[in-house]
Amino acid sequence: MSWLHIFFALILLPAVAVGMIRILKGPTAADRMMTAQLFGTCGVAILLLLGAGMANPVLIDIALVFALLSALSTLTFVRRTWQPGKKKHDDPLS
Amino acid sequence: MGNDSCSSTSTAWKILGRRIFFRLLIFSFLWYALAGSDKASWLLGVPAVLLVTAMSLWLASSSSLNIHLLAVFRFIPFFLHQSLRGGIDVMHRALSFQQLLDPGLVFYTTLLAEGSARILFVNCISLLPGTLSAELKGDQVTIHTLDQGMPVWANIQRLEYHVAALIGRTTGNKKSL
Amino acid sequence: MTILYHSGTFFIGIGLLFFLSGTVGLIRFPDIYTRLHALTKADNIGLGFVVCGLSLQSGNWAVIVKLLLIWLLVLIASSASCHLIASSGMEKKIKPWTRP
Repeated sequence: MSWLHIFFALILLPAVAVGMIRILKGPTAADRMMTAQLFGTCGVAILLLLGAGMANPVLIDIALVFALLSALSTLTFVRRTWQPGKKKHDDPLS
Repeated sequence: MGNDSCSSTSTAWKILGRRIFFRLLIFSFLWYALAGSDKASWLLGVPAVLLVTAMSLWLASSSSLNIHLLAVFRFIPFFLHQSLRGGIDVMHRALSFQQLLDPGLVFYTTLLAEGSARILFVNCISLLPGTLSAELKGDQVTIHTLDQGMPVWANIQRLEYHVAALIGRTTGNKKSL
Repeated sequence: MTILYHSGTFFIGIGLLFFLSGTVGLIRFPDIYTRLHALTKADNIGLGFVVCGLSLQSGNWAVIVKLLLIWLLVLIASSASCHLIASSGMEKKIKPWTRP
């Protein structure tokens, strides 16, 4: 058990919590989604730090899945929620 | 005539062989990294690697990329340095007491070929200091910049040069990955 | 060993600073484009420093490769989603904020 890493992970928590203000204030749906993206990146960092702090390598795999899912969620949001029913041909990511 | 067609089919086979070899290498490495060194995992790993190799060949059959390995080693430090500068720049602007933003739009026409090179270019713009790729229409890139006083054009042109050195598009006969 | 460990700690500390400033930017900056700048750049560099620091401390090659893979994945994902959000914003005619 390394308390240093757990302390580092605790420092990241306010970074996520303060991001909540953006969810409350908005104003567009994209602003709120950006906070979700922040949760994704910070969440990965917190999981990695906890994985080192608790000497539990499984958490690294969870971080990997987290990274994958946060990418998917943003993609789904932009394609399905923010621009429903829209298809572009020149978009390299579609 | 006959000789010529024979040699061109043999180079085609060579290209295919190279593509298969590199994909097998990359996906096996990925499996090793993800699954760990347990030998039993390869019971699932070998079929998975073969399947993914076949799938990626099938999906990317039309595009023939030519990635220059030497340029990769020049690109990585360039990329790391630029994104570090970008991070420090944003940190400075976010934490300073004054309002340091002077945002604006910059329009740029890229010379890069359509496809992977352009996509890599557009994605890297967002990690450069002060720039963010806001729109891509054909070869027209709209760039949002945090500060119009920054040398946006010079930065972008350097990135374009590096991407062009990294990915050359081939029409057929050169070695490809 | 201890030098590696302490320099790893130092790297993680710098990474945390970037994370915190990314959040500050997300709150302070005036429109979605500028906020995207803060989010994408600061968080990617922050995660990069955390990954570097943990790699220095771990000393296990399999773990290091996995950490670097995670960073690469987050880099690709966040720059792609950043471009997606920005281009959707442009398409919705959301005007970028300019200095008054």
